[in-house]
Amino acid sequence: MADTDTYDGPILEIDKLSISFFTRLREIPAVMDFSCTVRPGEAMGLVGESGCGKSTVALGVMQDLGVNGRIVGGSIKFKGRDLSQMSQEELRDIRGSEIAMIYQEPMASLNPAMRIGKQLMEVPMIHFGTSEKEAYERALEVVTDVKLPDPKRILNSFPHQLSGGQQQRIVIAMALMSKPSLLILDEPTTALDVTVEAAVVELVKDLGKKYGTSMLFISHNLGLVLETCDRICVMYSGETVETGRISDVFDKMQHPYTQALFRSIPLPGADKNSRPLVAIPGNFPLPHERPNGCNFGPRCDYFEAGRCDQGVIPMADVARGDRHETRCLRYAEIDWGAPIDVGKQTEKPEPGDVVLKMDNLKKYYEVAASALFGGANKKVVKANETLSFEARESETLAIVGESGCGKSTFAKVLMGLETATDGKILLHNSEIQDVPIESRDTKTIANVQMVFQNPFDTLNPSMTVGRQIIRALEIFGVGETENDRENRMLELLDLVKLPREFAGRMPRQLSGGQKQRVGIARAFAGDAKIVVADEPVSALDVSVQAAVTDLLMEIQRKNKTTLLFISHDLSIVRYLSDRVMVMYLGHVVELGSTDQVFQPPYHPYTEALLSAVPIADTSIEKEHIVLEGDIPSAMNPPSGCPFQTRCRWKDQVPGGLCEKEVPAVRHMADGHQVKCHLSDDIFAKMTPVIKIAAE
Amino acid sequence: MDPLTWTGSVGIVLNPIFFVVVGLFAVMLVIQFVLSFTAPPPSITVNPDGSAMSSGGTIDLVGRINSYLFLGLLGILATYMFSGIFTPYGTGGIIGEIGVRLLPVWIALIITFALSMAFKRKLGLYGKLFDSVVGMIGFAIVMFWVFVAIFVAFDLVITHDPLSQVSGMKNKVPGTPLRGAEDGEYAHYLLGGDNLARDVFSRVMQGSQIVLIIAPAATLFAFMVGIVLGLPAGFYGGMFDTVLSFIANLVLAFPVILLFFLLVTPEIRAAGIDFGFYMWRVPTILASILFIFPLIFLVLLWNSRYFTQPSKNMLFIGLTVVIGGYLYLALAWDADPFGLISIDQNVLIVFVAVVFVNSPTVFRIVRGLVLDIKTRDYVAAGQTRGEGAWYIMLWEILPNARGPLIVDFCLRIGYTTILLGTLGFFGLGLESESPDWGTTINAGRRLLGIYPHPAIAPALSLMTLVLGLNLLADGLREESLKD
Repeated sequence: MADTDTYDGPILEIDKLSISFFTRLREIPAVMDFSCTVRPGEAMGLVGESGCGKSTVALGVMQDLGVNGRIVGGSIKFKGRDLSQMSQEELRDIRGSEIAMIYQEPMASLNPAMRIGKQLMEVPMIHFGTSEKEAYERALEVVTDVKLPDPKRILNSFPHQLSGGQQQRIVIAMALMSKPSLLILDEPTTALDVTVEAAVVELVKDLGKKYGTSMLFISHNLGLVLETCDRICVMYSGETVETGRISDVFDKMQHPYTQALFRSIPLPGADKNSRPLVAIPGNFPLPHERPNGCNFGPRCDYFEAGRCDQGVIPMADVARGDRHETRCLRYAEIDWGAPIDVGKQTEKPEPGDVVLKMDNLKKYYEVAASALFGGANKKVVKANETLSFEARESETLAIVGESGCGKSTFAKVLMGLETATDGKILLHNSEIQDVPIESRDTKTIANVQMVFQNPFDTLNPSMTVGRQIIRALEIFGVGETENDRENRMLELLDLVKLPREFAGRMPRQLSGGQKQRVGIARAFAGDAKIVVADEPVSALDVSVQAAVTDLLMEIQRKNKTTLLFISHDLSIVRYLSDRVMVMYLGHVVELGSTDQVFQPPYHPYTEALLSAVPIADTSIEKEHIVLEGDIPSAMNPPSGCPFQTRCRWKDQVPGGLCEKEVPAVRHMADGHQVKCHLSDDIFAKMTPVIKIAAE
Repeated sequence: MDPLTWTGSVGIVLNPIFFVVVGLFAVMLVIQFVLSFTAPPPSITVNPDGSAMSSGGTIDLVGRINSYLFLGLLGILATYMFSGIFTPYGTGGIIGEIGVRLLPVWIALIITFALSMAFKRKLGLYGKLFDSVVGMIGFAIVMFWVFVAIFVAFDLVITHDPLSQVSGMKNKVPGTPLRGAEDGEYAHYLLGGDNLARDVFSRVMQGSQIVLIIAPAATLFAFMVGIVLGLPAGFYGGMFDTVLSFIANLVLAFPVILLFFLLVTPEIRAAGIDFGFYMWRVPTILASILFIFPLIFLVLLWNSRYFTQPSKNMLFIGLTVVIGGYLYLALAWDADPFGLISIDQNVLIVFVAVVFVNSPTVFRIVRGLVLDIKTRDYVAAGQTRGEGAWYIMLWEILPNARGPLIVDFCLRIGYTTILLGTLGFFGLGLESESPDWGTTINAGRRLLGIYPHPAIAPALSLMTLVLGLNLLADGLREESLKD
């Protein structure tokens, strides 16, 4: 390894790499003509939608493509040595010591039967033959570096005793144990909550600087890449379409796909009425059905027949910019500064009467300490505490919060899957909080419907799409005859903009976005007045998200539906909601119109959430607020204010009031309420977290 | 008539070749096994046209020779089997003549495979079975026995009446000619005679019928019981689940063989609840309880789905109740009002016993699957739509649990087949002259040292059928995971 220590060229050089997977039917090219260079200390972001080949590149670098994956062209050089020429022993030596990888799911990367300390110490002991004592010291040092409290205790614990965020920190610590030259991060924060994600990203950035490690950061989230990386590589359907410095690609993009991608994500300034998102038309091509010429051609606004659909399109150097390249024949002809075609603008509908009113809703769960000998000490999980709000006709109310904040419980109580412990739910002035779904009449059930989060789970895999919608119609008593329902089903498919042939398809033949559309059609089968959308787009790709969001908005306008939009993604919340409710540990900490919530004064938790959400816009300046620790368990909530354990404003409240009393709801302005002890003058002094830099 | 040898005159030429090939194959297998430890792994190169090529040196060569040898071996075996079809009677030997007797089975198998292969992309999971070699072998073996059972019913495969005795044929070795065979009578006992001078070949073939009727039907009934009880146990949980799981564990903890002995002993069978005017005996008690589950299953299935369309609902439920109720009365209570259908009480008790023993395991499998699937969003979607619990269980959860259930169904038929064999072996249930495999093995057991053939033939049959079912289950499992 002596020769590599003095090496000062690029850490990773990938040249015209092509990777294919071989199946019984055909060869499936996963990556084609991929080139990139990572210099020492540089962080390279790899961005693209699912199926674009970004993870395959990472596996190619690790030389771990499985039995049917193979590098069919090009080379991967690590510190000047070609990885594909190395023997298994040499590769084993490099993996984990010189190149380390961090995966998406932290629990799957740790051995559940081994103590953390032992797993960490293994790395230097195997790779460098260090003594146990030295390895322990090193482990302790690294665990301190990843900012975990009480490192000694952590080293002595098992993975399941740590939270998701802590586990991911341990995985990062493990990757850093051997001081690698290259760190590959494959969607390292996708499984984590936003505030935890922000802290982990912050940590990765700091450590990269401290250790001088080069990074290959794979993500679908442009905002995250902006925050962590120096350079970016945008991939589409197995190819790099654009690569360059972050600032070049974000502000002076030279490829239609990059442009379309940025137009389809909700950045500050986008608004559902005056400046709707522009969805990318069409679908992602399947690997074996790629078009001739430019892969993006069929979906591109600048497509020129006879030119873009011929031959192989090479990467072209963009004159200005540092190593800025694009795979577009027409990049020089396109007027990149042209203003966005605004699309159809719509009037903001006036909210109508109150259709849903929650009054001091409480939902407690009793959890027996032991299932067998329960009774003696029962614990109470307070999933919802004094939830009060109103929702009006054709209004979008966003419910924001991280996992465990009680938003799903609230949805269950509203739907009637659970009954409330206390309080009232008024639907059109009838109380439904104690009526379980079996005793609700068809009208009530059809009026309150739900759109689910996971598109792969929302449809019954063994029933045709049409059948599932017809079933909802049958249950809601729509239509007199079979024919009526059949027709109505086809109309519903039209409503969600799916071709009518889809009625006979099985769910597995549909893409994620299409399944979600069917889910929406099913929810609107009985002309629902209130639709609870539980993170309906969070599992979809960015370009599909915009289309599905717009569809929801359009149907809402048409039907005057009240939309309760549950989400943790504040960008999309700002884009589509009229009012926002922020929840934390079962409490509503802030409620107000979108403008009120996104401007100071904030509740301290809202402030942290806003700061945590990555925004893919270089002109945005954010104040960095990193929350310490994890979300407390709802089984054992902190005394007083639920947020006091992580609040950075706590010392501004005299007399330790935060730890003693749950704050009362304070009405700040018209319809804006905050649950906090902070005094008015401190609220007045708060500055906006997100600032658009003056240009 | 001369006695038949195993391979007949075909064997004079083929036998030496056969033994050389077998010897070579064995040696090469050992070499391949040793080489696999020492030789380097094959290197794989990719051609410019995108195809991959593996070149592995010696180990690759040995592997290829082995596969050719294996194919050659199969070819020779096939020649033994099919030569009799084209040559005059007797030249093919015992194996050849058995091949001739099974001709309708071969033709049916070829047609089945040709049709299935041609349309395999349109046939769902069944079609995908033909992508897996293991699955195809299993399916072929199972279908072989199914076709045998079918053609025996048309009096095609068997050579003699399985129950009639022919003097002078007692314990005769395979291939013995029938003394004084008349015209039109088959001239040989192909697999010899048993200790009551009956034709072993015909008995084995006939025996497949009993197994293939009882085993799948009993398994199906066990599945009905397991599904109807397992679905709500998993779905609701709580007290219902605890009690049912406890009972299932009780049944499973009781030794199966002992349970069988108890169920089929005459004293227990005669026992029952005396109502004065009617004696409710144990077999009827069990049958009347277990046989009601398919009825419950179907009624719930229709009602949960069609309750929104009353006319259709009435039609389906009405048909189910009328037809199912008639069969129920006839089979469980032996009280067919028209006196058309009845079931032999011996078969009934065996049937009921097998269902009773199998259903707790099915219950547990179904319960476990439900616990997993009920957390899916489409189940929640059904609930928020206000669907009834049985609709969610039967139409949302059950179809999505079908993969593991189908696999278990195949395995369980095999298990049931063994159980039936065991029952027959202990002389429980079926009559002693019944040609079913278990009883036949038991009958042949006593003279096993001197005349092994009457016991070996049914034992091999039992083994191949169960092996086929297991391979089929393996293939199905493999292919169902691939989607």
